[in-house]
Amino acid sequence: MTKFRIGRRAALRRAAGALYATSAAGAVSSFAIGGKAFSQGAPIVFGALPPLTGAGGPYGPAMLRAIQAVVEEANAAGGIRGRQIRVVAEDDQTNPDAGVRGARKLIDVDRVSAMMGTWASSVTTAVAPLCWENRVPLFTVSGADSITLLPHQGFIFRTQPNSKLQIETGADFLLRQGARRIFHLAAQSPFAQSSQDVLVAKFRAAGGEVVGYTVYEREKTAFRSEVDAIMRARADTVFLNGYLPDVTILLRELFRAGFDGRRFAPAYAINQNLLNSLPHEVTNGAMTWQPSPDVDSGAFKRLERLFGNTAVDPYSAQTNDHAALAILAAAAAGDAGGVAIRDNVRRISQGDGEKVDNVTDGLRALAAGRAINYEGSSGPVEFDERGDIRGTKFRYERAAGGRFELVELR
Amino acid sequence: MEAYIVAMLVFAGFYALMALGLNVIWGLAGMVNLGLVGFFAVGAYASALLTTKLLWPMPLGWAAGAAIAAVAGGIMALIVARLRGDYLAIVTLGFAEVIRLVASNEIWLTNGTDGISGIPGPWRGDVSPQQFNLIFLALVWCAVGIAFLLLSRASHSPFGRVLRAVREDEDVAAVAGKPVLWFKLRAFALGAAVVGFAGALYAHYNAYIAPDGFAPLLTIYIVLALTAGGVGAMRGAVVGALFVVLLLESTRFLAQEIPGVTPVQKAALRESIIALSLILLLRFRPQGLIPERTRTHSRPGATP
Repeated sequence: MTKFRIGRRAALRRAAGALYATSAAGAVSSFAIGGKAFSQGAPIVFGALPPLTGAGGPYGPAMLRAIQAVVEEANAAGGIRGRQIRVVAEDDQTNPDAGVRGARKLIDVDRVSAMMGTWASSVTTAVAPLCWENRVPLFTVSGADSITLLPHQGFIFRTQPNSKLQIETGADFLLRQGARRIFHLAAQSPFAQSSQDVLVAKFRAAGGEVVGYTVYEREKTAFRSEVDAIMRARADTVFLNGYLPDVTILLRELFRAGFDGRRFAPAYAINQNLLNSLPHEVTNGAMTWQPSPDVDSGAFKRLERLFGNTAVDPYSAQTNDHAALAILAAAAAGDAGGVAIRDNVRRISQGDGEKVDNVTDGLRALAAGRAINYEGSSGPVEFDERGDIRGTKFRYERAAGGRFELVELR
Repeated sequence: MEAYIVAMLVFAGFYALMALGLNVIWGLAGMVNLGLVGFFAVGAYASALLTTKLLWPMPLGWAAGAAIAAVAGGIMALIVARLRGDYLAIVTLGFAEVIRLVASNEIWLTNGTDGISGIPGPWRGDVSPQQFNLIFLALVWCAVGIAFLLLSRASHSPFGRVLRAVREDEDVAAVAGKPVLWFKLRAFALGAAVVGFAGALYAHYNAYIAPDGFAPLLTIYIVLALTAGGVGAMRGAVVGALFVVLLLESTRFLAQEIPGVTPVQKAALRESIIALSLILLLRFRPQGLIPERTRTHSRPGATP
């Protein structure tokens, strides 16, 4: 018993320290928040495990900022039934081994009641058993289909559409654009084969065909034989299902070979950096698609204002919703435990309740005893029984003169 | 907090086992092996596949993990028989990458980059997560203890002495009538077996393995553990592994205590602190925390 009390006191001390450290908004206001925390019982702790270094390093910091912003807003609105919220962040280094050690620290030392912001699928899969064994819900942006198929007892919530859904919408778009003979060139990844299966089914149903399918190693630097195969197959569309470095080389080689069909790739593989680095005649007409945040939503606009000059990426829009969902679920349950959050996420994110797009309104409505339906910056955030997101919008763009122009948003 | 410390001690145990294995190959026989994580992966995949697909009992899976890694080590020793120094390092590094690429491409066997999840652990699910941690703590450190005793014994046996002779000068050892390749092969197989065993245990502790987890970062941690502890000394390997885990984990809390540091800066700061401490250690104590001590006999005739 004594031991337990010492642990809590240490946790409180760290709480004060972390509030100093994490609050970007001036020392005075964070001190006031710290004072409140002491007067109203132990704060509720959320763990953030974004990639701050490694391959995910470009995304993690913004993802974390979105989480912190929501938590600051909720604290300013009085917290969860008077209890303040604290975010503790650990770096997953985009590596499953480091991710597991970080998650251990968050669960065992900080005693987080929810974990959010894991990015790489391998990290999410490695951390997931720890979460469900310790009854902590895990909110993630990872796309691998296998994640929500784990025996997670409802503890995983994924705001990223799984890769199957992404490929299906991409194939539908290409068919609408008139593609009939598609060549699928994929980097070795968990999605390569499942993408191929979806493409075959979709194109066959529409009277088209997949005229070629090649999987390559992503570190490859020359694609002569692949490009030759594409030319030989007389494809009207090539689907470059790879990553930025390899797709950069592929676009150049396709241009040299005189390929004049459609080139289609995920938005993370053809981005603005790529358009800046290649001549316009090489990239013109290349098309991309990505799950889109709900750019017209109130939640997204708030996030944009907060981010100022930096564009809001889809992952930050999602982690914004991770924090909001956890806060509102805990408030609806009147209990900040992991199980209570798990059981109440669907109660506050779908159904006929009052529509809210931020935690301030949501907390107020819940305090007044009204049911709510949270609509986030990433979309309507409704989950199916496996924890997968439903009803996300997709954004289709085409490169023209070194810039992207919007083709469709649906 | 207790659960966290226990979990980190389990990780330290894995690292210690790997450092012990590396110490046989590098410390005693003097062969630079940067392919460590490859043997770790072989052990992990072997045991994970045998226990999930063929439903072998776990102890058999672990033994098989060690045995298959030992065979891989033996083959490796034959391949690199004529290589030394930097060339050996490059080939072993390549070996680990080959293993990782095979694991991510041979989907029928390894499930590709999705990895293998749901690997059973001893009594996992029947006991609380904390009890499971304690079971594994005992298991891993027993393994470290046994490996330590056996390898220390081997290190001071005639076998260990020949390995040291090979390390210092291969030609002299050969001239003295020692079959150098045979000794190198056995050293490689023995070291790889210990590393493979660590990998097998790791797979069952984490319940999930994927090619991403076997990146060269882990090899670097172990090489650092061994360098920090003292190359050649078995005690150094264990102490070094504990030191590396302590360094990796304590920097979380250190960086957190500095006021005004954002989590992003904390992440960068952690990496700098780790790098800096190792640079300082190598600068001021290149022989490691526990230097190798060999029992040298006095020269005949030197003492009256």
